[in-house]
Amino acid sequence: MNENNTILVIDDELQIRRLLEITLSASGYKIIHSSNGKDGLIDAASHHPSLIILDLGLPDIDGQEVLSKLKEWYDKPVIVLSVRDSEEDIIKALDNGANDYLTKPFRSGELLARIRAALRYKPVKENEPVLEFETLIIDLPNRTVKKDGELLKLTSTEFSLLALLAKNQGRVLTHQYILKEVWGYSYTEQTQYLRVFVAQLRKKIENNPSKPVLLVTESGIGYRFGK
Amino acid sequence: MKIKEVAKYFSKVNPYLLSTLIVGFTALLCLPFSGTQSYHVISFILLFVVSVLATFLGIGPVFLAATLSALVWNFFFIPPHFTFHIARAEDILMFLMFFTIAILNGILTTRIRRQERLAREREIRTEVLFKLTSELSKSSGMDEVLRVAISEINKNFGFAPFFILQDGNEALFHSVWLQKNRELNQQEFDIANWVFNNCQKAGKFSTAFLTEKYSYYPLYGARVKPGVVVLELENALGEKEAYWETFLALISNALEREFLGELAQKVRFLDESDRLYKTLFNSISHELRIPVATILGSADTLISSKQDENTQKALFTEIFTASLRLNRLIENLLNMSRLESGRITVRLDWYDINDLFNKVSQDLNDELKPFNVKINLQEDMPLVKIDFGLMEQVLYNLLFNACQHAPATTSIGIDANYIEGELVIQVWDEGAGFPKNVINNVFDKFYRVNGSKTGGLGLGLSIVKGFIEAHKGTVSVENQKKGGAIFTIKIPSGSPDIINMQFDET
Repeated sequence: MNENNTILVIDDELQIRRLLEITLSASGYKIIHSSNGKDGLIDAASHHPSLIILDLGLPDIDGQEVLSKLKEWYDKPVIVLSVRDSEEDIIKALDNGANDYLTKPFRSGELLARIRAALRYKPVKENEPVLEFETLIIDLPNRTVKKDGELLKLTSTEFSLLALLAKNQGRVLTHQYILKEVWGYSYTEQTQYLRVFVAQLRKKIENNPSKPVLLVTESGIGYRFGK
Repeated sequence: MKIKEVAKYFSKVNPYLLSTLIVGFTALLCLPFSGTQSYHVISFILLFVVSVLATFLGIGPVFLAATLSALVWNFFFIPPHFTFHIARAEDILMFLMFFTIAILNGILTTRIRRQERLAREREIRTEVLFKLTSELSKSSGMDEVLRVAISEINKNFGFAPFFILQDGNEALFHSVWLQKNRELNQQEFDIANWVFNNCQKAGKFSTAFLTEKYSYYPLYGARVKPGVVVLELENALGEKEAYWETFLALISNALEREFLGELAQKVRFLDESDRLYKTLFNSISHELRIPVATILGSADTLISSKQDENTQKALFTEIFTASLRLNRLIENLLNMSRLESGRITVRLDWYDINDLFNKVSQDLNDELKPFNVKINLQEDMPLVKIDFGLMEQVLYNLLFNACQHAPATTSIGIDANYIEGELVIQVWDEGAGFPKNVINNVFDKFYRVNGSKTGGLGLGLSIVKGFIEAHKGTVSVENQKKGGAIFTIKIPSGSPDIINMQFDET
């Protein structure tokens, strides 16, 4: 059994499940689906899917609770589906360990891209000290960054920010999480620091800082590094 | 002044005692002349005194004075003195004539006086009523009419009236029109209701519910019964009753006028909302049906028959476009209902305005493709405090509109500046602009420029306005001189405190 190909869909809407089954099967994934949180948790435990797509509005258990329970033992990616205009729910889900999110209605192409990115995602290991993104090379132990072979001058905060984002490439990091990791607990409300440093960093690492492709803004939520 | 003071002083004394005293005093003054032949003169003096008394005393005391003076004259002055006996026949005649003249004189004088007093009162009342009429006609609005009515009643009758008006549906309403600190208990309110329904006065000093503490008077006009007025009376109104009722009739008329005014307004409002409802219903059903019909039709064709690849792709594109349109429509309806229900909470945070523009131009990538998009940001644009989600929707709607109305290959622009504590965003196009006569209506809900080719509910710009106002900002629209519309958004925003970050620079 190719473990890397099974996706569990937990959603109470039959039509969404059917649509996902058709779309994902066509792309070569194997689909299991559950219509509520309880079954979802059981299916996750018995099938060990390589990725879970979780709807936040479930009939029996709150999606956030399902997510927390899953994350106690499940170490593979979870992509959260939610209705629009619920930034707070999305942030909470990401803080609860979700890798990515999509708002309904979504485009299938977008969903497939997110699934591919999430499946690619592997936590950076100690023996992987150098990260490469096209022409950008980040040397973690030496705290240096090279772009097109040239050494970039980064401040220590800029480097910490870049390293954090790069280590979590493809994953959405919330503002609060980044602030906490880079600046510390007492700075989680100081989004202006983050904005200024992101702008500075973009000027140094992006080819066109006003149309960033590496350091991407997730509106109202946070940032994502790379595709 | 002195005479008035004296009269005032006398008015406090018992009038019967007063007339007795004055007649007695006059008699005492004349006593030295008793026994002389001048007793005819004394009769004139006494007649004079009675006439004078009649000018300020009531009919009873004057009658007493007349009788007393006749007896005194007879006893002290008509021979034989100190007896009531009259010796000469002509003196008997004189005495009888004196008595008659004294009484007639007294009665006529008091009657003239009373009529004069009534005439004066009538004049004052006419004047008061005239003033009331003019005050009432000057005041507009239920509250002001009531205020004038209460103060005029207080001024002219000395009591504090208590108005209970109906609710506009022919039922007395217990709370709204009740004046502060005053309330009726249920029983009293029931009586007020009875008065209201029967148009009859009741309570103290009336013919029904006599044992009550208050008196209740109905207010009634030709078409509307405005309500009931409640009084706490010490004495019966008596002859003032008619005057009071005229007073009330004038107040009733003024209140009726206000009620009819409100009624007319309500009818107008109902008409308006009915019209709005129809427009809304028509346009929503139309706007929903078109994309649904497209999706249904295309899907049906795809399922039921075989097409070549090009046709298939065209049909799929139709379905896709129609779905996007449906999605936009639902998004707008949801946003509108969020605005209408007041459930918009603005979550302000610091944002790089560039991120906002990027996000929106990405979302509108396909729509903006035929245009030359120009984004102009002030060189050292600071971070601004906005709600990203709301502003995203605002810019999306403005740019989407521009794409719909401007001809392809023209420019569409966004300019952003930070001027004196305000974020100023301008979105412009090079289309035809808005017709001059409707440019002020474009932010109205469900407003659509007549003959507009593009679909839509006419919600986009009212959502823009609502979201900008939620930011305590303003939005306006003009036609540019070179052609095309330009929307200007101004949002107050501080600039962030970033001094603390300098420590990091190495």
